[in-house]
Amino acid sequence: MPSLNTKNLGAISWEPASEIEFPCGLPGFEDRRRFVAVHFGHTDPLIFLQSVDDAALCFITLPIRAVEPDYRLSVREEDLALVGLPTDRTPHIGEDVHCLAVLSIRETGTTANLLAPVIVNLKNLKAVQAVAQEGGYSHQHPLPTEEMAAAC
Amino acid sequence: MLMMSRREGETILIGDAIEIVITHIGRTRVRVGIRAPRETPVIAREVKLVREENRAAAVAGGSPEALTGLISRLKPGQAPGSGNPG
Repeated sequence: MPSLNTKNLGAISWEPASEIEFPCGLPGFEDRRRFVAVHFGHTDPLIFLQSVDDAALCFITLPIRAVEPDYRLSVREEDLALVGLPTDRTPHIGEDVHCLAVLSIRETGTTANLLAPVIVNLKNLKAVQAVAQEGGYSHQHPLPTEEMAAAC
Repeated sequence: MLMMSRREGETILIGDAIEIVITHIGRTRVRVGIRAPRETPVIAREVKLVREENRAAAVAGGSPEALTGLISRLKPGQAPGSGNPG
């Protein structure tokens, strides 16, 4: 079983069949094609997208509907075709695809990229970070701050 | 910002080397053809935003404190202790 001593997650190993392939990489990381999705009980519901080619490259993500329960996918046909999904309909989150929002953790607060969700075809584990065509979603959607959470 | 009205099939020139053709006008979208020198990158603005956001996301993952705080806020019913001054 392949393994890697990662910068952020420590040593991990994985089944080769569980690797996620980004045929075009991710914007800004076009040459990083293979990732694994790592999650731990104590960091649930976070999902870490760890590059298997680069021990230092890891994205922190959340299932998109944990961020925005009513999130609606709007994917270009080219992006659907890239990961082998039918181009004549929108895939269903949870049935056809996993859909993850990449988080940016800054001192000023954490934001989720809802403009460009990571879409993983569940049938072949091919993935693309696809810029949404509609919906007006932000690439820096603020997650609730402690103050907001306390007010709920 | 310079504004120009164009019909389908009409073209705009930027300098000598860049040509923009309005190839199709749909209900909510226009399709644009761009002829530019190979060394001129042409991308949608959103792709640039996502590229920059990914670079920020990839480096900002490090701090364990930030992660712990984030997780405590995501888990309903497990809010940080009320006695915690932080």
